[in-house]
Amino acid sequence: MATVGGARRPPPETLEEIHMSQQTTEVPEELARLAQERDFPLDLVRRALALGFSPGAVRAQLLRGISPQEAEEFLAQQERLRAGEEVEVPEEITQMARKRRWPAGLVQRALRAGFRLSEVRAMLDAGLRFDQAERLVIIRERSQERQREGGEGRQRRTELPWMNVRTEWGVRVRPGKKGLTLGSLNVGTYGDVPDYWPYQTEMPRGAYHNPGAPPMGYTIYEKAELWADNAADLYEEAIQRQWKPATAIPWDDIAALPEVQERALAQLCTYLCQNALVCSDVIGRWLKEMSYGYHEVKVYMATAGFDYARHFDVFRKRAYLNGIGMGRQSPGYYLRVIKDARRWTEAATLLFIFNSSYVLHLCQVGYYAAGSEGDALIFRLAMQDLARQTAYGVKHLQYFLMRKPENREEVHTCLQRAESLFAYEDDKDPTLQEALIVLLGGGLGEEELKRGWALLNYFRRRWLRDYLRRLEAAGLPERRDRLFPYLRQWAPAPAAAR
Amino acid sequence: MAQETTTIRATFPSLEWFQALKDIVNGQEAYRRIGTCDTTMGIKIPDLQKYYVVTFEAFEVADVREATEDEVEDCDFWLEAPYARWKEMLQNIRANGKADLHHTLNTLDLEDPEGFARSHDGLRRDAFYRFNQSLQFFFDASAAIDTVFVQ
Repeated sequence: MATVGGARRPPPETLEEIHMSQQTTEVPEELARLAQERDFPLDLVRRALALGFSPGAVRAQLLRGISPQEAEEFLAQQERLRAGEEVEVPEEITQMARKRRWPAGLVQRALRAGFRLSEVRAMLDAGLRFDQAERLVIIRERSQERQREGGEGRQRRTELPWMNVRTEWGVRVRPGKKGLTLGSLNVGTYGDVPDYWPYQTEMPRGAYHNPGAPPMGYTIYEKAELWADNAADLYEEAIQRQWKPATAIPWDDIAALPEVQERALAQLCTYLCQNALVCSDVIGRWLKEMSYGYHEVKVYMATAGFDYARHFDVFRKRAYLNGIGMGRQSPGYYLRVIKDARRWTEAATLLFIFNSSYVLHLCQVGYYAAGSEGDALIFRLAMQDLARQTAYGVKHLQYFLMRKPENREEVHTCLQRAESLFAYEDDKDPTLQEALIVLLGGGLGEEELKRGWALLNYFRRRWLRDYLRRLEAAGLPERRDRLFPYLRQWAPAPAAAR
Repeated sequence: MAQETTTIRATFPSLEWFQALKDIVNGQEAYRRIGTCDTTMGIKIPDLQKYYVVTFEAFEVADVREATEDEVEDCDFWLEAPYARWKEMLQNIRANGKADLHHTLNTLDLEDPEGFARSHDGLRRDAFYRFNQSLQFFFDASAAIDTVFVQ
């Protein structure tokens, strides 16, 4: 609300009201003197005040040396906008905005918030994405609101201290095509995710610190130790694409495979159940270590934990469905390495890149051997969840390596440990391998076992290829040359499946 | 997912065919219910030198367009197969109302040593798995098109 001469009145909304307002607006004496000294027309000062700009803001512009011509252009634009008119945007700027995929209307909004056309052009030239530009616009809009806010409003707030906290109020978020998403709330100061989170309490980011709150014992306070730029989007994706094992799978239509294959599938499902439980434990162990400054990662991890619960559920159901039930436990040597990780980045790299790549390839085997649409759907949906988890793992490792290049060797060391213990387990306990061979080959005959063995090697080559490509995308291309020797047998490009 | 009755006749491959598919998918609530899908998918038919880009955004297919080979390879991933393979997949979908187990995107991908889904980036390729159910829905919807094949 514009306050002129101490009395509150609504801001002028039509050109006529604006002109009337200009005639009645008084210019503070000090400001009038400054304008005179700068040879700046008093009429322009009056127009700025009538638009609701504070005397302080006008003074700052005069001290900055704004020319009457610049001021005239800006004020005329603002008057048109306030009167509800659109400002003509040069075609060149419209084209640039379209090229940068800015939503329609953002340029007009920026101008309405007080940006000059030259400033909007500079934002586009600098390659600002729409969300980055929108943050600047929101900050400017908020600043405008504060300028227009009367003293009466401020005074009222001092009576209720919690209404007077120094958080950023007035931030507005508009739902987009995906609704009101977690990531879309990251505007204004709320979009600033600090490199270090200074609070040991459960204070959400953006809230005002309460000095009496007790520390909660988190241990991860550094952004580089857990951040991934895609975490908020992955969270939305996870909750949007969630599925329910009890009803999403056409259980009644899943006929039993021939008995040996059904047993092999149950063994695969047993392994996947065990693996999912361990992964769920690992996330639970680390979730409580993550401080509240990085809620995007925390809430995404909550969904990842739920994914694993769902995988445990669906594979257990599939093992029991046709009367087989659980098979033999896996030794779980390499899973111990993930459980024993002493740093989240280490745990996340092993969990979401090494293990998810491996489990994804097991699901590919399951899909390939599926005898019904129901079985295929189980593995397809599980793969969707696992691929989302690799997306976090890759982006986090990428972020970590960019900020902590000195820890590169540490990442190799933990991968080496997991790869070597996987090799030990694979070599010493053939349970899963044998089950996969039977499943892929279709039986226990010599030819079937040969076929199963060839197909298992085919799928393992695909696994190694995808694992190394994900590490390459994370910024670790040299892992290809440092792969644990046992795994190198599958490293070459895959040969034909049939 | 049972498809609706045929309403349109279009030639594969053509922009008109992909546009028809986009319209069919965007008109189906079942597609929205799968959840958000955000990815750019290239279509590559090397023996016909035909290339398309399909953009999935939130709950809809936002855009389909004809493209260059470079543009296709700049997508998150692209689906590449000779024309005969594409034809076989689409004929199977048309005959069954959706792809049978031997003709799903996943199966075609798993059977091809190079992969049906390809990418220059190991992270971006994973979009093929992340949104697989939506992508399969997209192609299964072609059962509603009376497709005319160029060869």
